Amino acid sequence: MKEILELNLPQNVLYTKDHEWMDTTGNTMRIGINDYAQDQLGEIVYVELPQIGACLNKGDVFGTVESVKAVSEVFMPVSGEVIQVNTDLENAPELVSSSPYEKGWMIEIKASNPDEVKTMMDREAYLKFLEGIK
Amino acid sequence: MNPLMNQTPLHHWHKQNNAHLSEFSGYEMPLWYPAGTRTEHLSVITHVGIFDTSHMASIWINGPDAFHLLQYAFSRDLNRWNGKPDSQLPEGRCAYGVFLNPSGEVMDDAVVYRFRNDCFMAVVNASMGKTITRHLTDCRDNMNVEIKDLTDRIGKMDIQGPLSAKVLAKALTDPEKILKKMAYFSFKGSGPFSSHGETVKLINGIPVMVSRTGYTGEFGFELFVRSEDLLQTWELIFESGRSFDIQACGLAARDSLRTGAVLPLSHQDIGAWPYVRHPWTFSLPFNSEKNGFTKHFIGGNVLLVEKEAEYTYPFAGFDPRKIIAGKASVSDSAGKTIGSVLTCTTDMAIDRQGDRIYSMATPDRPVDFLPKGLSCGFVKVEVPLEAGTVVYLEDGRRRIKVRIENDIRPDRTARCAMEKMLLA
Repeated sequence: MKEILELNLPQNVLYTKDHEWMDTTGNTMRIGINDYAQDQLGEIVYVELPQIGACLNKGDVFGTVESVKAVSEVFMPVSGEVIQVNTDLENAPELVSSSPYEKGWMIEIKASNPDEVKTMMDREAYLKFLEGIK
Repeated sequence: MNPLMNQTPLHHWHKQNNAHLSEFSGYEMPLWYPAGTRTEHLSVITHVGIFDTSHMASIWINGPDAFHLLQYAFSRDLNRWNGKPDSQLPEGRCAYGVFLNPSGEVMDDAVVYRFRNDCFMAVVNASMGKTITRHLTDCRDNMNVEIKDLTDRIGKMDIQGPLSAKVLAKALTDPEKILKKMAYFSFKGSGPFSSHGETVKLINGIPVMVSRTGYTGEFGFELFVRSEDLLQTWELIFESGRSFDIQACGLAARDSLRTGAVLPLSHQDIGAWPYVRHPWTFSLPFNSEKNGFTKHFIGGNVLLVEKEAEYTYPFAGFDPRKIIAGKASVSDSAGKTIGSVLTCTTDMAIDRQGDRIYSMATPDRPVDFLPKGLSCGFVKVEVPLEAGTVVYLEDGRRRIKVRIENDIRPDRTARCAMEKMLLA
C-alpha cells in the first residue's frame, strides 16, 4: 500500500473525489483512474468501457474496473460524449495498474459543459482531500 | 492501523515488502504484494508461493478420551479414515471435516491431526480458536481429555505450488528421509507441539511440523513452528526458493486459488445452515448406501432428516467479470430467482475453449494459451441443478452468465506423487 507521498500524481491533470483523473489540455479530454485508485484496487484484471458516441452526464458511471477481489465503477468527471476508448485495455487490463496516466487511459470525451471542469481538484487540492480520507 | 487488530509474527516483513494490508477476521493481513494478485495466483500454479497463515487457530486435544470426543464432535468418522471399516486415522495422518452444532449447522471447518494414540490437534479458522475450544469443552462432559487453544503460540506458513518440495528440501535437515513417499494429508514431526515423536528440523535448527496439506488445491505443505521462530522460518524458505522464483502471496490469491479448487471458505460457503447438499459430502460419515451415517455425532441426526435445505454448487463464468457476492441473486434462464451467491472471484489461471476449461497447468492446453481468467465461486439455490446448467448472477449493477460445474480449475497438483514433484 502506497503512502500518500509515494503516489504518482502528475501536476498536469485534474482529479475527482472518486479518484479519476482528466487531462484538460487537448481538444478532447482524456480520463482514467489515478495511482491511488489503482493501488487500492490491486491488479486490474478486467476493464469495461462505454460505446463510442455515448453521451453521459457528470457523475454517470462510464465503466467498471475489476481486480481479482473487487469491482469498482468509474464516473464521468464532467458531462460529455465519448469520442474514443482505449481498446488496448481489452487484452491488457493491467495497463491501468502499471501505467495509469499513459498507456492505461480509459476514454476520451468531448465535454458538453466545460464549466464543470471547475469542480475538479488540482494536485494540491486532491492531496489535501486524500489526507482527509486516509 | 487499528489498535484492536491482531498482527502475525510476519507483520513487519509484510510492511517492509510493501504488502497491501487489510483486516481479515481480526488480523491485519496481506491482501497482495506489489507483484499483484494475478502474478501470485499464477506462481502457485506454475512455480511456488508462500502464505502467512498464522491467523489460523490451533487447538490441542489430548487425553485418553480425545478420540471419543472427536468422534462425537467432528464430522469425519475417524474409525473409517480411508472409507473402509476398522481403518482408524493413523498417527501422522490428518483429515478434513467440520464441527457442527446440534442443528447440523457449521460452526467451523477443520483439519484434525493425530500425533499419538491419545493426542490430536485441530486447525480451525482465524478467530475461531476460542469458540471451538469452548464448544469442545462443553461437549466433553465427563470425558478425560484436555483441550487447549494454542493460537498465539503457533506460527504457521504455507508453501504451495509444484516446486514446493524442491524448495522445502533445501531448507530441511535430512530432506530425503522426511519427504520420501510423504502422502497427501500426512505430516512429519511435531514442531512446536510436543517433544514426543519424530523430530524434524530446518537447517537453522528450528523444530518444524511439516504437513502435506494446503488451501490452494495445489501441491504443497503447511509448516507449523513456534510463533517466535516464524520470521526465521519464512526468511529461510524465501531464500531457499529464490532460484525457483518463489513468490510471497496474500489472501486475495489464497481466495482465488481455493475457489478454483472448489474448497469452501468457512462462514461464507458453509455456515449457519444445514451442512447437506453441497460438494463436500466426503467430510460426512455416510455409509455405502448413502442413507445413514457410520457413527453418531453432533448435528448428524438432523442432517439425515433434513428435507428443506438449499443446494450449494460450484460455478464458472465465461470471462473474468464478477458480481458482488452477498448482494447478488441467482436466476434461472426463465428469469426466476432461485438463490444467492456465496463466493464470486476470478481464477486467473483458467479460461474456456469450446466446452472445456483449461488451466495454465493443463498438459494438452492449446498452443499459446494465455488465460484471461474466469469468474467462479459457489451459489446456494432452492432447486437441484445439473452440471452444465446456465444461470445468471445479478448484483443490481450487472448481470453475468455462468455455468454450474462439477469442478472449476482442472489439472490441479495437490495429489501428485511426491517422487514426481521432487524430480520434476
